[in-house]
Amino acid sequence: MPNVSIPALDEVIYLGPDETLLSGLYKAGYSYTVGCKRGGCGICKVDVLDGDFSYNRPIAATVISAEERTDGTCLSCRAVPDSDVTIQMRDDEMRLVNPFLRQINEKARRRAEALAAGTDMEQ
Amino acid sequence: MGIMRMGYAHVRVTDMAEAKDHYASTMGLYETRSDTTAEGAQRVFYKGWDEWDHHSVVLEEGGVGVVKYGWKVEHETDIDDIEAKATAFGLTVERMSTGENPEIGDGIRFTTPSDHVFEVYHQATAYGTEVGTHNPDAFPRHLVGVGAPALDHSLITAEDPARMEKMLIDVFGFYATERVQTSLDADHDLVGTWMTSNNQIHQLAVIGGPQGKLHHFAFRLDNWNDVGRAADLMTMDDVPIDVGPTRHGITRGQTVYFFDPSGNRNEVFAGGYLAFPDRPTTVWTVDQLGKGIFYHARELNERFTTVLT
Repeated sequence: MPNVSIPALDEVIYLGPDETLLSGLYKAGYSYTVGCKRGGCGICKVDVLDGDFSYNRPIAATVISAEERTDGTCLSCRAVPDSDVTIQMRDDEMRLVNPFLRQINEKARRRAEALAAGTDMEQ
Repeated sequence: MGIMRMGYAHVRVTDMAEAKDHYASTMGLYETRSDTTAEGAQRVFYKGWDEWDHHSVVLEEGGVGVVKYGWKVEHETDIDDIEAKATAFGLTVERMSTGENPEIGDGIRFTTPSDHVFEVYHQATAYGTEVGTHNPDAFPRHLVGVGAPALDHSLITAEDPARMEKMLIDVFGFYATERVQTSLDADHDLVGTWMTSNNQIHQLAVIGGPQGKLHHFAFRLDNWNDVGRAADLMTMDDVPIDVGPTRHGITRGQTVYFFDPSGNRNEVFAGGYLAFPDRPTTVWTVDQLGKGIFYHARELNERFTTVLT
């Protein structure tokens, strides 16, 4: 259950199992400009600076070039992190549009960390 | 009359199982054939319930975007006529034979100035509409999902929309019902053109953009209620809606834009007005394009101009 770090926002988001980057960030209250959300247009690209991801469903070969498949370019709508990842936005900024979802995500992340460390989460 | 209608839109999809779920279960099209191309790509053919030809949508696995469009002419001789006009326009035309496309007859094929492949044909296997031709009921009782009756039109992009407009006039005998221009002066640039050969408000629209790209292809619905119901069904099926339900200023049509599971943009389109060749062309200036495209919001979203497949 990976964390997504966004250094530009000094932010860490917790993703559920098999959750795509886009879906996870939206569920955590964040939004940014996306297109088809279906791996066909390339509007939702972000750069993965650190960590690994894989695509859970087919994406169009025309959207990601051979070079982009190895340089960290990530089609966030269909990318599922395989480990903790650090990402950087491109032209568009990520905006917090639902602070309540952000709070819920923060709690879930701390709960998971506590579980992993074998300690109870403080209430 | 030459071109009667856009007969088929042949598009690529990345995952056929997901695509079939969308076009059959959500849109309610009928599968009429499934096969594999010589290159090994899986294909599925569809028709709407109110269409009588064998197919109007072809899905081919492998990528996104449009492979080609089929245009059906009224008379066999129209094919020769269009071939001569296309050659005179400077296009390279090749003949296509019966069977190159399943259930489609002889015709011609050429690449447009916008780098799209057009096929022109006269004969297609008659399949029949779902309600039949003898004392038909108003609609089939057991429609699935949106239950789209027919393919309606498409919007493509071209680096030089004015040259595409000229081709569609000179070769296809189309006329422009609406245009978007940079100004009303004589030396304006053409931003987009909405074109038809008959009373349908548009069969093909072209806006400025990259060569060979698909903006959307649209299915015809009857009215606002059907458009609203289609939007409800898209939410139930978790189809990403791009815009709508709203109205277009251009064509006055009522619309929802949404994406298929590969990222190709679809539209459901209802209303609009009847087109006539002697009707003055409606002109929009680019500063009013927001209202022209999305009449209520009056502004374009970023996706509308950037998402192409």
